[in-house]
Amino acid sequence: MIVYIFIAFMFFIGIYGMMAKKNIIKMIIGMNIIGYAVNLFFIVLGYKSGGIQPILVPGMDIKEFVERAVNPLPQALVLTSIVIDLSIICFLAALSIRIYEKYGTFDLEKIRRLKG
Amino acid sequence: MNLIVFPVILYLLSAFLIALIWKEDEKLSGIACLSFSILVFISVILLGKYVFLNERIIYFVGNWQIPIGITLMVDALSYIFLVVVNFVLPVICWFSNSYMRKYTKPGYFYILFSLISAGLNGILISMDFFNIYVFLEISSIASYILVAFGLRTEELEASLKYTMIGFIGSTLILIGIGLILGKTGTLNISDFMSAILNINKIQLLFILGLFISGFALKTALFPFHFWLPDAHSLAPSPVSAILSGLFIKVTGFYMLVRIITNIFIIFPESKIIIMALGLISMIFGSLMAIDQIDIKRTYAYSSISQIGYCALALGIGGYYGYLGAILHFIYHSFSKSLLFLNSGAIEYRYKTTKIEELKGLSDKMPYTTATGSIGMLSISGIPPFGCFWSKIIIIIAAIKSFYYGIAFICVIVSVITLGYFLKLKRNIFDSKGEGEKFEEVNFNLLMPMVILSILIFFGGLILLPEVKIYLDKAVGVMQNFSYIQIGER
Amino acid sequence: MNKGMSEIVKTISKIVVPFIIIFGISVIFYGHLTPGGGFPGGVIISASFVLLLLAYGREKVLSKLSLYKSDILHDIGAIMFLSVSLIGFAGGVFFLNIFNKGKLFSLWSGGNLLFSNIAIGLKVGTSLFLGITLLSMARIIHKENKIEFYEKEEDIK
Repeated sequence: MIVYIFIAFMFFIGIYGMMAKKNIIKMIIGMNIIGYAVNLFFIVLGYKSGGIQPILVPGMDIKEFVERAVNPLPQALVLTSIVIDLSIICFLAALSIRIYEKYGTFDLEKIRRLKG
Repeated sequence: MNLIVFPVILYLLSAFLIALIWKEDEKLSGIACLSFSILVFISVILLGKYVFLNERIIYFVGNWQIPIGITLMVDALSYIFLVVVNFVLPVICWFSNSYMRKYTKPGYFYILFSLISAGLNGILISMDFFNIYVFLEISSIASYILVAFGLRTEELEASLKYTMIGFIGSTLILIGIGLILGKTGTLNISDFMSAILNINKIQLLFILGLFISGFALKTALFPFHFWLPDAHSLAPSPVSAILSGLFIKVTGFYMLVRIITNIFIIFPESKIIIMALGLISMIFGSLMAIDQIDIKRTYAYSSISQIGYCALALGIGGYYGYLGAILHFIYHSFSKSLLFLNSGAIEYRYKTTKIEELKGLSDKMPYTTATGSIGMLSISGIPPFGCFWSKIIIIIAAIKSFYYGIAFICVIVSVITLGYFLKLKRNIFDSKGEGEKFEEVNFNLLMPMVILSILIFFGGLILLPEVKIYLDKAVGVMQNFSYIQIGER
Repeated sequence: MNKGMSEIVKTISKIVVPFIIIFGISVIFYGHLTPGGGFPGGVIISASFVLLLLAYGREKVLSKLSLYKSDILHDIGAIMFLSVSLIGFAGGVFFLNIFNKGKLFSLWSGGNLLFSNIAIGLKVGTSLFLGITLLSMARIIHKENKIEFYEKEEDIK
């Protein structure tokens, strides 16, 4: 139960970073933290108290393994989600270099040529 | 039966082959992309025989049965969306074969185009929550990159804002999927519907709220519409046509239809929320579009307004509401893609899209004027063009459910739409300009627009009884089907 | 100007990098038996190349694995993954696992999981390396606010 409160706290730190900071790079780091919080939430969902890792070693009893092992499905989903977040962050990093070239600043309040 | 996976495979194959072999050559990459798009359209048409024979196709990937494996499903509703999406994509690809010559590195454009198409087709055929999320992300990331394709100053800023807001939407959807996994232990939609009775109603309402917020952010309904005017008006024209004509419909509207009518059927109150959001975005979009000075921004605000029509029809419900929503999706896809391609043709000649700098195009570009006028009159709802039929069915649906106020507002918004489109038409096409040279665009840019305008012109023919039977099956899916029937076989 | 880092860092990384690459290959190949698989293995292999990039400077690494080669390799990885999924059509269903599964816990007991893991590991590793190298090649010229992409260190003034 405490783990979920920590995950929510991390999520709100990420949202604070995205909303309250003016530098683009700090906003990108905030997006990264949101991604970490959601991935951690997925992994913690599959936890069983007193569980063992879901790897079948030769010579193990299968019934007992199924009862005690942690759910491995969320771990596979998290792998996909990490790669998706990675590619968004990589694209945003390249985009912010181009924005620095055109606007001369990383400050979000000065990047406002669009109106209406 | 194996044809069901062909749309996704062929588009992915086209993306990878163009990346390996034809990335530097502009002509061959365009021709390769166009031929793969036409192959996908042919395979979707061949699939229709199976779909309408047994009412739906269910396909188990790798022969793994329902709780364990990934399942794919195409029924009448998905099939109509598949046909429309895979018809408009080759037309846009043909247009962009000659339009993208003016950009540096057009080879990369076709790779990203194929990835968006693969993602859109993947959403339409999958029956698994996480599968939908993965394909949604594939097409979203490709669209974030395509908006910034021209590398002008304003496009970069628009892409930055679009990326950040789209990321928040995707994260909300992912949290909803995580909660579903935690509560029921399965991600298959039909399995989820069997286990839905064991969950506390308040938690289910929270998941529904997360899903509606996430998908409404992708659809640009009222409180979440901020990114649409910048992103759609500053992207290159074929990209605007894909985004505004297909992307917000498939990732937003189709998913809202599935969630409200097929998955979360124990909450009929959710229709009222969608109706309210649709109503406000309808009014708001058309009021903001009156005073713009740029053609593409007007079209972008008009997209917000028309997608409000679709959401309103979905919220009203009943036979006429659902029929109106599907018809409005079909004709608005054709019309809005035609309008954005039209503005692309104008920009190809005159290098600008502001209204003050374009005057008197009807002498110089007659075919462009004709197709553009057909598109504009169609969205305003003038008979016999396409959107007139869908709007009148929506008004009939509102009257039959005794929502007289909403029917009145529909008519008023339609008149306001006609107003700003006539203003555009008068300023660009009909006024007198200097120079009498005949400067029509070339054949490759004209034929896609002519094809779409012919389809819009004969729009009323879809209500003939021979063709309407397919639409009736799709409406039947929205009214009667719920995914729990798949698990019961 | 000095390329790369000091002598101590160069020597240690020269010794450690082969072990990292072999560990990454083992994580990829035994993805169906131990935790890991395509994605983490690919990231480990690309991390070893980034270590070489930091220690030795960009030119030396680009002379071993040029941008052109890694571009082709990452496309070959993607096409290999797609063809693994299409081979299942020979058995009738998309993505069917038709390879001979040997005895339990051996290398071949996963069927076509082995080839999928290798394809994904190749693709992820090379594309991460491409991304990081390209981002490191941009130099911002402060006086004119322009961006230039340099391959050799001598071009920077």
